[in-house]
Amino acid sequence: MQYVDKWRAVAAATGPADRAAAEEGVCLAYRTAGLAEPERIVWADSPRAAVAVVRSLDDPGRSVRDEVRTRAWAEERRRIHDELGPTGWAELWSLTGARLWDTTRALAERIRTGVVDAPAVQDTADTADTSDVTARETEIRLTLLDAVLGQHDAAWLCAFDGRSDRLQGLATVAAHAGWWWPYEKSVVICERPAELHRDEAGRLDRGDGPALEFPDGFALYAWRGMPVPADFLGGLTSLTPQRIRSEENAELRRVMLEYYGYDRYLAESEAQPVHRDETGILWRIALDDDEDVAMVEVVNSTPEPDGSHRTYWLRVPPTTRTAKEGVAWTFGLQAEAYEPVRQT
Amino acid sequence: MYRQGDVLIVPITDEAVPSHAVDAPSEARDARGRLVLALGEVTGHAHAVTGPGRLVCEPGPFGPMLLHLPEGGRVVHEEHAAIPLTKGWYRVVRQREYLPGAVRIVAD
Repeated sequence: MQYVDKWRAVAAATGPADRAAAEEGVCLAYRTAGLAEPERIVWADSPRAAVAVVRSLDDPGRSVRDEVRTRAWAEERRRIHDELGPTGWAELWSLTGARLWDTTRALAERIRTGVVDAPAVQDTADTADTSDVTARETEIRLTLLDAVLGQHDAAWLCAFDGRSDRLQGLATVAAHAGWWWPYEKSVVICERPAELHRDEAGRLDRGDGPALEFPDGFALYAWRGMPVPADFLGGLTSLTPQRIRSEENAELRRVMLEYYGYDRYLAESEAQPVHRDETGILWRIALDDDEDVAMVEVVNSTPEPDGSHRTYWLRVPPTTRTAKEGVAWTFGLQAEAYEPVRQT
Repeated sequence: MYRQGDVLIVPITDEAVPSHAVDAPSEARDARGRLVLALGEVTGHAHAVTGPGRLVCEPGPFGPMLLHLPEGGRVVHEEHAAIPLTKGWYRVVRQREYLPGAVRIVAD
């Protein structure tokens, strides 16, 4: 478990890279793979900038990602798998990498999407036909496929930690920098994010600025994991119930409702409680051209430090008829099966 | 059944526990020696059980997690009062929230 905590921190690390340490890791990874050290290492401030640098490199040589990373991983994985057996390997993975996999994979995927969508990269893409957006996107995606994910390879490196010296170079880079592109003669390596804001479930989440931002301003905006346009968040502070009702995108409307506060919206839209019982209150908001929003209002059993009880809302299926049915649904139960004898 | 924040802990009879779950490998304890039922990714706050016992990942009708406490135990959390549990098997369920077309877990 100590490895999980260490690599969880690596995956979420922000702030300037330790360039010297990362470059040492790069060189070690090359030597371990039996390659000559790269002639030059170029730093970029974000994966977006790195893609542009990679595409502008003059004679970087072939990609050596396979030797440096993929082959080394595959062979170490096979070795450990043979050593532990299929069950032992599955157990090791479930105790290590599996715990970091979903959040880091989702974050890396969001960054990839963000880079592909970023206009700055598209502008530098020197395709023959600049109107061919698809071809440019494909080239950027291919460049992204050449990346070693540095800190975002945490899940795999966590599973190997303490079992393999061969991956020390990769682990060192990951502990000190972001994504990197290994070529025969040149390496492009990327800074870590300056800002990373996530919710308790590990999803990108920020209501008053970018949830992820690199030093050069490349940024992603998200609310509880849902990507939102950059200018969308600015409008959240001046929301009105009318503005929320008129939003046609159902997902953005959900974000607006969450930001505005269901309680406030319920009060201002004069919504009526549908049902009330010992578990809480069921509310319903009718929306034009969309299914109803059904919410259960529940009160936290454990008081806050100031003695008050926090009230919170959970959205439940629109078919819900009673508060208890709604709360039971949040735990996958029928209303009659939900009978907690103690709650805190 | 017991509820601590966004985690529901439901007793199940020994007979109802699938035999492969009885033999399945246990989840590792955390650095503080606890069985972690649910972990807050950012705060590190955890719904966790202290004392002897096992936690088994069991996807399916009884899962996603089964907890076995041969001598009973306590489930603790940084922001919620502890709940004592008598000895036996429990099903552990994380709270979820409805989204049109999808379902997401609750992060409390």
